[in-house]
Amino acid sequence: MWSFILRRLLYNIPVYLGIIMLVMALLRVRNPVYAYLGKNADQKQIEEFEKSFGLKDPFIVQYGRFLWNGARLDFGESWKYKGTTVREKLLGAIPPSLSITVPALVLTSLLSITVGLLSAFNRGRLLDRLLVIAAVLGMSISFLVYIIFGQFFGAALPRNVFGDDWPLAIVGYGAWYRMSSVDIFGLTIPVPDALTWVKFCLLPVLISVIVAMGYDTRFYRAVMVEECNRDYIITARAKGAPKSKIMFVHMLKNAMIPIITRIMTTLPFLITGSILLEMYFNIPGMGRTLITAITDMDYPMIQGFTAVIALLYILSIILTDVLYALVDPRVRLS
Amino acid sequence: MINGTMRRMMTFAAVLSALVAAPSLAPAGAGSGDVAEKVLRLPMTTDGPKSLDPIVGSTTYENRCCSQIFDTLVQYKYLKRPFELEPALLAEMPVISEDGKVWHCTLKKGVRFQDDACFPGGKGREIVASDVFYSWKRAADPKYQFKSYWLLEDTIVGLDEFKEAQQQSGSFDYDAPVEGFRLINDHEFELVFKRPVQQFMWKLAMFQLSIVPREAVEKYGDRFNRHPVGSGPFMLENESDWQIGTSLVLKRNPNYRDEFYPSEAMPGDAEAGLTKAAGQKLPIADRIEITFFVESQPMWLKFEAGELDYTTVPETAYEEAFSRRSGNLKRPYEQRGITAHKVPLIDFIFRGFNMEDPLLGGYTNEKRALRKAICLALDWDEMNEAYYNGTALVYDGMIPHGLDGYPEDGHLPNAWRGPDLERARQFLAEAGYPDGQGLPVIDYYTSSGGTSERMAALTARQLAKVNIRINPRLVDFSTLMEAVDNKKAPFFSFAWGSDYPDAENNLALFYGPNEAPKPNHFNYKNAEYDRLYEKIRTMPPGPERTAIYIQMRDMVLEDCPYAGSMARIRHFLVNPWLLNFKPTETFYTWMKYLDVDDSKRPGGSSR
Repeated sequence: MWSFILRRLLYNIPVYLGIIMLVMALLRVRNPVYAYLGKNADQKQIEEFEKSFGLKDPFIVQYGRFLWNGARLDFGESWKYKGTTVREKLLGAIPPSLSITVPALVLTSLLSITVGLLSAFNRGRLLDRLLVIAAVLGMSISFLVYIIFGQFFGAALPRNVFGDDWPLAIVGYGAWYRMSSVDIFGLTIPVPDALTWVKFCLLPVLISVIVAMGYDTRFYRAVMVEECNRDYIITARAKGAPKSKIMFVHMLKNAMIPIITRIMTTLPFLITGSILLEMYFNIPGMGRTLITAITDMDYPMIQGFTAVIALLYILSIILTDVLYALVDPRVRLS
Repeated sequence: MINGTMRRMMTFAAVLSALVAAPSLAPAGAGSGDVAEKVLRLPMTTDGPKSLDPIVGSTTYENRCCSQIFDTLVQYKYLKRPFELEPALLAEMPVISEDGKVWHCTLKKGVRFQDDACFPGGKGREIVASDVFYSWKRAADPKYQFKSYWLLEDTIVGLDEFKEAQQQSGSFDYDAPVEGFRLINDHEFELVFKRPVQQFMWKLAMFQLSIVPREAVEKYGDRFNRHPVGSGPFMLENESDWQIGTSLVLKRNPNYRDEFYPSEAMPGDAEAGLTKAAGQKLPIADRIEITFFVESQPMWLKFEAGELDYTTVPETAYEEAFSRRSGNLKRPYEQRGITAHKVPLIDFIFRGFNMEDPLLGGYTNEKRALRKAICLALDWDEMNEAYYNGTALVYDGMIPHGLDGYPEDGHLPNAWRGPDLERARQFLAEAGYPDGQGLPVIDYYTSSGGTSERMAALTARQLAKVNIRINPRLVDFSTLMEAVDNKKAPFFSFAWGSDYPDAENNLALFYGPNEAPKPNHFNYKNAEYDRLYEKIRTMPPGPERTAIYIQMRDMVLEDCPYAGSMARIRHFLVNPWLLNFKPTETFYTWMKYLDVDDSKRPGGSSR
């Protein structure tokens, strides 16, 4: 297995280098310095800035420097946040994203697998039809609508009625983060304080779950419907195995490959976060940090974030292959 | 009657809120001793400041935050309009020598920086004259990329030379002398200028020239922007109180100098309750909690839920708050005691011509006629209606509302304000393009995204009525600036927010030596104009100077290097429990004057 992992890693090196090169090249199509230095900058200042940040060097030199420094996890200093390294920003942005995406993924997966199983097991019946309609409806509405409605009906309106007694806040992630975090090796980690988490994070998680459930339920239902027709299910039924055992033991176990594929493909998103949720709920996670870096033309940040996100994607693909082999002995890594 | 769903919802809410509010989980400092603490809950659009070091700050968001933590030599009088300055760290306004080149300044005695570990024993030391020089020399330090150097450039004797020498030496020596910085004693110093520069007084109130302690900058180095140490009314107690992009919590600085709520006010201020606090020690609030909003929707919802003391009205919510027909605040808001304030920004939104462009530039009658035709074909009122709900201020000239030289009611007979298609066609014919025949397509540079794209389409449609065709070049802001700075944009959309409330700041946009990449993006050159500009820089405010401002304004109008103008109006809604608030966006030191009446908050307590 290790040789497989090593081989896949080696195969992916050129892909990774290509991604970095492409991103760096695209960023250099336009000169960001004019906007960065603002309305009062003169030509000399512009040139000095370009020189001090190595923007005058040939592209290949800049590329090599970025790779060399990146290998040591040194992505330089943010242009916008003086005195703050990209690494610091990266590490700081991961926990806020995880505090939303991990609970959302766990909840979504559990719920949608269960609903998918139920739906498949009752396919063609009223329950199945209702669940399918609900899933399609859920998918058809824009994420933004969920967020706006969620903030209004889930927080603003009830807070107008119940005041501070209403447990879900409109925004305020910072308040939770501020009151309950510890610094470990320079990484600010929110202390798992479940109750303040409820106040500031539950609403975005619920919205995320509602949005994702539509897609996931339909997917898992399709997988389970296929499994329902397999011989082993018919045999289990014939032998009089209880319905719950057939669903949650036999079917679920055999449907693990598509389930793993589905979950693994979402793993990088755990880190990258949800841009819309983070924007609307003021969550300083990866998605929002990257978007604001793009708006601010903070090149070191964009390059650093892209490098890490690309790496995560590649690693998650390799990890998926490894997990296949672990859950299904028929799959051989060769 | 409460139905089952409602009952379940309330039970759920009660259980969760009981858990959330459990005393053992309350954050540190939320004990009973904080009951009487006055807390301001304020919003800030965008993701907030990037730095809390004033010398690298440039945006309005950095201004708002730094202005609470740091102090300047002078400050704006809170209630006075038009704006006036008063001493802040200075004991009195600078005494200016007869030739206007030497300013004698005296610092207040006994004013201390906030307590911080960078000082011996952690006790903030007294501010002395050398702190002023140190703070300003930082603007010349390449480490800070000269972000604020434009404030001092070509102004103080020896400072430019000092900057060059330090840059060449490779290591910055803050102890090296600058001829124009004369230290007399710990509390007195003189500033020596190359020439009289009247407007420098406004710069003394700008947050970038705040006074910082050398010990803190040296101790915290690059972290100073996350660990600011100042002498302002509030302070950042812990670095974690600034959650970048999310929130900022500032606490009252117990060392803040003796300053009291002003009694000098404008007519109407007393009726608005703005003078009741006269004589009260500042700052009035104990804590400020600023929440940053990248999206305006949650800000609006938070205001609606009574969780913010005031808000600016997002464009999308304008019609929810105001009657489209009358422009008045809608009744439900009035019933809640909310008040509306309309504050015109010192804005100059325009379409600029590059005066060096072979087609649109030049000073011949034909070239002027072409530019005038474009001006007369544009309908700024339509743009205002379409994109600003009709709330922006359309005006003539480049001097914004509230400044000397602003035309009465915004109209000037000699301006080329459209739409006047008939005259536009006449000028087009005078320019040698009857009915637009033979006129090449004009490249029009504007930034992509937001309303700019739609505004470009409207501009194109308006100009097409007289057969002037434009090619909208929608580019990112950096590219727009690059094109303008490199004189490659013949026609472009831009805006200028005045740095200080003196029309000189806007007149400088047409001063020849300021040509691109400096702020004269029009590359306008007029020797007489330049001579007058150099003259007004040395003149104190008064009718004589205003007359020259008007003369200069009219000279520019005649040459027509831009089409415009328009200024945005900021709409504030203020909750009834926020007291002493007189909104402005010209300066941001006003948070220290604000008070809250918690009994008027929803639920009668802090939220």
